[in-house]
Amino acid sequence: MSNQETKPVELSLYKAHEKIYPREVKGRFQFKRKLAVLVLLGLFYFLPWITWEGQQAILFDLPHRRFHLFGLTLWPQDFIFLALMLIIAAFALFFFTALAGRLWCGFACPQTVWTEVFIWMEQLTEGNRNKRMKLDKAPWTTEKFLRKFSKQFLWITFALWTGLTFVGFFTPVKELTIQIWQWNLGPWEMFWLFFYSFATYGNAGFLREQVCLYMCPYARFQSAMFDKETLIISYDKQRGEPRMRGKTRREADSPGDCIDCTLCVQVCPTGIDIRDGLQYECIACAACIDACDEVMEKSGMPKGLIKYTTENALEGKPTHILRPRTIIYFIILMTLVASFGVALVSRSSIDMNVIHDRNSFYRIVNANTIENVYTLKVMNKGSSRTQYQVTATGIDGLNIVLGMNETSITADPGQLVTVPIKIQANKKLANKKIHTIKVNVVAKSTNGTNNNDSASEKVKYFGYDK
Amino acid sequence: MATEPIVDNQDFNQRQIKRIFYRRMGIVVWVSFFTAAVQSMLFFAMFDPAYLGQLSSFEFNVSQWQGYAIGFVFFWVFTFSAALFSGVVMALPRTKLAKRTNTN
Repeated sequence: MSNQETKPVELSLYKAHEKIYPREVKGRFQFKRKLAVLVLLGLFYFLPWITWEGQQAILFDLPHRRFHLFGLTLWPQDFIFLALMLIIAAFALFFFTALAGRLWCGFACPQTVWTEVFIWMEQLTEGNRNKRMKLDKAPWTTEKFLRKFSKQFLWITFALWTGLTFVGFFTPVKELTIQIWQWNLGPWEMFWLFFYSFATYGNAGFLREQVCLYMCPYARFQSAMFDKETLIISYDKQRGEPRMRGKTRREADSPGDCIDCTLCVQVCPTGIDIRDGLQYECIACAACIDACDEVMEKSGMPKGLIKYTTENALEGKPTHILRPRTIIYFIILMTLVASFGVALVSRSSIDMNVIHDRNSFYRIVNANTIENVYTLKVMNKGSSRTQYQVTATGIDGLNIVLGMNETSITADPGQLVTVPIKIQANKKLANKKIHTIKVNVVAKSTNGTNNNDSASEKVKYFGYDK
Repeated sequence: MATEPIVDNQDFNQRQIKRIFYRRMGIVVWVSFFTAAVQSMLFFAMFDPAYLGQLSSFEFNVSQWQGYAIGFVFFWVFTFSAALFSGVVMALPRTKLAKRTNTN
């Protein structure tokens, strides 16, 4: 037993970074990836420009602490929706990872999507993989300068536009464009515009796969959701080995199907060799599948030497899509989605709270009447100024006295109104020690439109039990 | 299975040691930045910074934007300290335990 063989080595973690020049590739998966890039980036750049009921459709108005989403206004009181949405997103990620591996990484992650665009611009200005490698090694000439300059120009322009769009989700984008045109941006808009532009430029232009390898937490824990039935991209070792090429291949008795062209390595955006097995660096972009399929077709062998498969399938065992892991994730996900939908549909635009006065149980008004005093808080979560009527039920003949004998409460959007209310009852009817009554707040239609929003809350009513 | 202290046993040169330091520092900065961002998002979803400023025990009037920024920096200072502290104590001192290999 030699000590040397079992000694753990950490060296490889600290090797100097080598620039990766991914080779361009075409195929059915790359087509889907390009489609994903178009759809996702299209949505990102297009959404802030949509107007909905005279207002920017999607606007996260942080200074006024409200989110506008297609006519719906969310206030900090609706925090539950944000929390639910994040939990849904997390479980969707778990579910799809268990089912089909790193779909998110390969197709939908902003890092991948923007890197795709930046690589495309690089190809446009500097040429294909070989040309790029040659160009980087070549001394500075006018041509090299022009090519590098046009690449940087495209990158920076695109990054700035991305920054502008990003800020446009938080500040009305049309005013923002005018402000930029006149160059009188506020300090925050300025900061975020350049910060986000710089982040895009740095992440998609230079860091690229290093973000996935060193910075991304998902890449580190995604394997916890994997099992032997998860779709992975894998090289079929039994079919491919022994790999050989050229003369050796022609003279060998039974060579494997892999002709060792290393195209799968050249197209890989993270610079790994998929033939070494599943690695955490693999972002499942399927570029190697497309590259290998093309080669297999040209050399007259069946496609699928590298393919989407599962560990069980590789071992010749059956693969199950339905299994406890996916079923449980799916049930949790659907429950969350359903409760989110129900909560959103039944969301009231009124937030109310009634607190009983602490000092006295009840007060005697006259020979027949007693009253309980409460503090009523009403918040208008809608998007227009609204009047509210307050009623109470639970004991016959309840009478409400609002504040200084007002008839209704008025609140602006987002305003929280606090009023003292007195609820009067007949001494003979309110004769138990404690009654439970219901206080209702109903929105009155102000501008003709009839919104029947209402909210109610149960409170204690102290009766005259003597 | 204890791994050996990297810097002393793998014959790194000064440049490599510097690189290791920068990479570790990078991890500390990035992790603390990320947690501080999440923290401020959750915190300010629930609390209005302008209102918090009015509630403070000394004169402290901030607008929402200033409040968010100050809050984020505040969170980042603490997450950074925590990450840095973890990073420092994670590197084991060169004791017998740290040096022990499989054979003894």
